[in-house]
Amino acid sequence: MRKEMSDVTKRIVTGLCKYVLLFCIIAYIYWVYSYSSTKDVPFEKTKEALLNSMNDESIQNMMDVSSRGLKRYYGFNAAEYDGVMMYIGNNGLSAEEILLIKVNDEKQMNELEAAIKQRMKTRIKDFENYAPDQAQLLREAELIIKGKYIFLAVSENADKYKRVFLKLI
Amino acid sequence: MVFSSFTFIFTFLPITLILYYISPRRVKNMILLISSLVFYAWGELIYIGLMVLSILFNYFCGKDIYLKMCQNENDSSGHLSVDGNQKKQKNMGVRISFVIAIIVNLLILGFFKYYGFLIDTINTVAKTKIEYRQLGLPVGISFYTFQAISYLIDVYRGEVTAQKNIINFALYIAMFPQLIAGPIVRYIDIEIQLKWREESLQKFGEGTRYFIVGLGKKVILANSMGKIFESVSQNFSSGIKMSIMMMWVGAIAYTLQIYFDFSGYSDMAVGLGKMFGFDLKKNFDYPYISKSVTEFWRRWHISLGTWFREYVYIPLGGNRVSAKKHIRNLLIVWMLTGLWHGAQWNFVIWGLYYGVLLIFEKYYLTKYLTRIPKILQHLYTMLMIVIGWVFFFSESAGSALKYLGMMVGIGSKGFLHSQDCFVIVSNWGLWLAGIICCTSIGSGILNRNGYEGNGKWFTDLAYMMLFVITISWLITDSFNPFLYFRF
Repeated sequence: MRKEMSDVTKRIVTGLCKYVLLFCIIAYIYWVYSYSSTKDVPFEKTKEALLNSMNDESIQNMMDVSSRGLKRYYGFNAAEYDGVMMYIGNNGLSAEEILLIKVNDEKQMNELEAAIKQRMKTRIKDFENYAPDQAQLLREAELIIKGKYIFLAVSENADKYKRVFLKLI
Repeated sequence: MVFSSFTFIFTFLPITLILYYISPRRVKNMILLISSLVFYAWGELIYIGLMVLSILFNYFCGKDIYLKMCQNENDSSGHLSVDGNQKKQKNMGVRISFVIAIIVNLLILGFFKYYGFLIDTINTVAKTKIEYRQLGLPVGISFYTFQAISYLIDVYRGEVTAQKNIINFALYIAMFPQLIAGPIVRYIDIEIQLKWREESLQKFGEGTRYFIVGLGKKVILANSMGKIFESVSQNFSSGIKMSIMMMWVGAIAYTLQIYFDFSGYSDMAVGLGKMFGFDLKKNFDYPYISKSVTEFWRRWHISLGTWFREYVYIPLGGNRVSAKKHIRNLLIVWMLTGLWHGAQWNFVIWGLYYGVLLIFEKYYLTKYLTRIPKILQHLYTMLMIVIGWVFFFSESAGSALKYLGMMVGIGSKGFLHSQDCFVIVSNWGLWLAGIICCTSIGSGILNRNGYEGNGKWFTDLAYMMLFVITISWLITDSFNPFLYFRF
């Protein structure tokens, strides 16, 4: 009798655990979906949204180097990506940079991430002595990888651009 | 973290080995499990939760099925007597528990791997514009889900008892040597080893040899072939016309890359298993020496083939049915095999391509094939395999057909150019090493009995040199993809 009760209890507890875990899995998947899924937004739409968020003064202080900048500053060929947008400061004393790239595969993403981080480190060292405020901008830069996008904002408005980007994606 | 990385070879593995071997027997499995979870979390922190929940869910499902079966058992001891040949009367409760467990596993796999594919297909066919959010694929989900399903089916069939020890069960699912890219280990093959296994210096040595050879295959051969394939592939994607020979060079480079990449990783997995006392079954048996496509699939990704045979093909009736049903069974299995490899129609086509070939060989070609010289049998098989890989690496069916067309001169630019000769001749050592290592000649040079048993006098030195050369290659080379990670 005691053994039967124990077997029954075991079956009930096991069954309950099974359903509790199933509920946990569903909740987990919902959380992952909400937190880390991304929309497949066309590159031009993302670029337009970011440019619209940049005010006239910001754009005037920067130059569009989308076509050659990726090769010159990072060593990658822009034609190999789904889309590239790159703006940098107008003068040599500015560390400002807005970079938006949509990759085609994970390998490109990994290579870009490594290259961006390396360049950031180098630039911080470069600006450390003669323009510490710019070096601080670099330290506070926003680098986000989401879905097929990699986004870098080195700017006083980096937080604002980041929010625009994340809202769209 | 991948096996062919410095972090793994010089940090993670030594620390895990030390902790494992200094620990008492009763905590060895726990040490290995914690290491495995760290290994997984290193690259996939967000999905570690999914794997842990999957382990716990399948653990309790297995117990639930087993306890319900015991309830039905007439044995007065209350324990289920395990005999795979006995037919058991399973009541509805057991069946429901079993079906729910299998469906949940398939739904989890299906959601992460196929829901985007499903919506894209609906949008294409029904001309709708259903939007969806993209989710990253958890690394290794295809492998560990199939292992979990294998366990549940074996428990339901009465071939094994449910694992009582949750650590042992978690280790079966999450053990890092086979977690990310297989081999897919059937629970029945490892059940005893989870509880008791023998570590020895000889086994550790064998494991080290497997690991070194696997690392060499991956880093030197696979990555180098991969670079050749990448350059051809990029030119093809950019619309640059190439010669017929260059198209063949690309396809053959990929053929070698995927073999050395995957078999190299499997060798490393087997080697790592041995270092911890486990005997995992080999996953590749020199598939490119096959004399038919049927033989090729007995030698390539053996664990996946075994899984589909045991859990899909045989339950459908296998070949013990009418010819029509047999053909149906083969097509279903091969469609699923293709789909397992990726959520794209070119993978389904790749799978069905092999299904049709196997049916053709079985019902028509074999009697003629066995009459022709062996060299022609090999050539026929390699041709079919290379064509198959073109479907596998292409972005779409259309792209595959375009590539195949260029291989026979449709849309290509001449037969051979001087730069093609440069690519072939300048890599002559690589091509030669690749061909030799596709056979047992390579390992035969080092060992009498493959990687195991006593080697020749220069064996240890040769392995050490191979390891040093491989590490040097890894230092100087940043190109280190792993193709089967996307599964």
